[in-house]
Amino acid sequence: MSDVAIVDYGINNVRSVRNAVEYCGFNPVVTHDADAIANASHVILPGVGAFGDAMANIRARGIDEMLERHVREKGKPFLAVCLGMQLLAKTSEEHADDAVPHRGLGWFDADVLRLTPNDPALKIPHMGWNMVAKERSHPILANIRESNLAFYFVHSFAMRCNAPTDVVGYAQYGQPVTAIIARDNIAATQFHPEKSQDSGIELVSNFLRWNP
Amino acid sequence: MLKKRLIPKFLLRDGRLVKYVRFFENERIAGNPVTTAKVYNDYGVDELIVLDIVPSAASRGRVVEIIERMSEEIFMPFTVGGGVKTLDDVNMLLRAGADKVSVNSEAVRRPEFLREAARTFGDQCMTVSIDYKTIGPNHASVFIDGGREHVALDPVEWARRCEDLHCGEVLLGSIDRDGTMTGYDLDIIHEASRVLSVPLIVSGGCGSLQHAIDALEAGASAVAISSMFLFTDHSPIKLRSHLASRGLDVRSSSSSRN
Repeated sequence: MSDVAIVDYGINNVRSVRNAVEYCGFNPVVTHDADAIANASHVILPGVGAFGDAMANIRARGIDEMLERHVREKGKPFLAVCLGMQLLAKTSEEHADDAVPHRGLGWFDADVLRLTPNDPALKIPHMGWNMVAKERSHPILANIRESNLAFYFVHSFAMRCNAPTDVVGYAQYGQPVTAIIARDNIAATQFHPEKSQDSGIELVSNFLRWNP
Repeated sequence: MLKKRLIPKFLLRDGRLVKYVRFFENERIAGNPVTTAKVYNDYGVDELIVLDIVPSAASRGRVVEIIERMSEEIFMPFTVGGGVKTLDDVNMLLRAGADKVSVNSEAVRRPEFLREAARTFGDQCMTVSIDYKTIGPNHASVFIDGGREHVALDPVEWARRCEDLHCGEVLLGSIDRDGTMTGYDLDIIHEASRVLSVPLIVSGGCGSLQHAIDALEAGASAVAISSMFLFTDHSPIKLRSHLASRGLDVRSSSSSRN
């Protein structure tokens, strides 16, 4: 069986993602090596940390070009998680200096903006279990009942997609929060499936068996 | 909107799961933490809190090993604490698989540590744990060092101050009610939830399904439960379906698998 590449761009903790892939019966490789990514059956871009640092590391290691080739051109199945999803946007205002936003990978016509819930009692970060309402079905959500679409979120910024057809599901937190996006061989979640118990493991398992 | 959370709280002593009454009385060994965590995982609890109550260099190694083993098979958030004093301590626990690290005594002794840890690892990673005891009529005070040392701080004011120091969450525990299963301290839950803007987890006293309802209705974001889950037949599944039937917004209790 081919390996599952978990893209290593210098972030601290990918243990849970690795454990989740292993738990689903696949072989995870944490890597930023071009050959390892080329040989992997599936690619996961995890994400914890700050947008600007993450993009700087990704460019410094040439990961942007590797992903462009193997994911965008060759169509390898790809899942981005949390900050990983936000990196697919065109821009992010997270800790941007002088109001000049950071540039992301730009795979989606989307921008990352600070959460601004319309209820002042709602706390930032948006942290905890929240429901995702589906805009449409998607293979990574196969066999998960609608009542079980509760996932674990931890974030202060969120993606706003300009193309509504990219959005698979939203959560509600005083505003719609883009929770799942997908197009072609690419899927991404704002929540952490690797921390979302059965529903999250089911999603990871669906992804690892997905051959778009 | 966010779900109310049910969180088993594990106390570890030399790597064993233990439980006391009012912190020091009536020690009971409650089994293997990893095995018990797997059972709770099957019950669909929302998170786990794991606290090393007699921390030492040796016990830290055992806690790291326990968290690593839990994170191989259990996919939910873990909060881990006990004797956390340095950024290296925080980092070690996060690397082992913790999502949040709980700080108690060191936050009182060195409040700037909390701020520094939040800046380094993110506010959402830092939970402040506050133990308090009633020391006079309508007068509660904070205790540190596992309930051994009294400090002249009002628990709610101290929680507010920790929020200013960028903690992401407050775990507020009553020493008087710990292990007694006589119900949560609702007055302080009302007061703390009114003044805090970070999530409030309450601990100490849960012995019935109604106690959990009372605490959540009083304003807690989450209930930490130890004795009731360990020593009674009220399982997390039973509690969750009871809370749902009473209109509280908790996660669905059925398995996600068809």
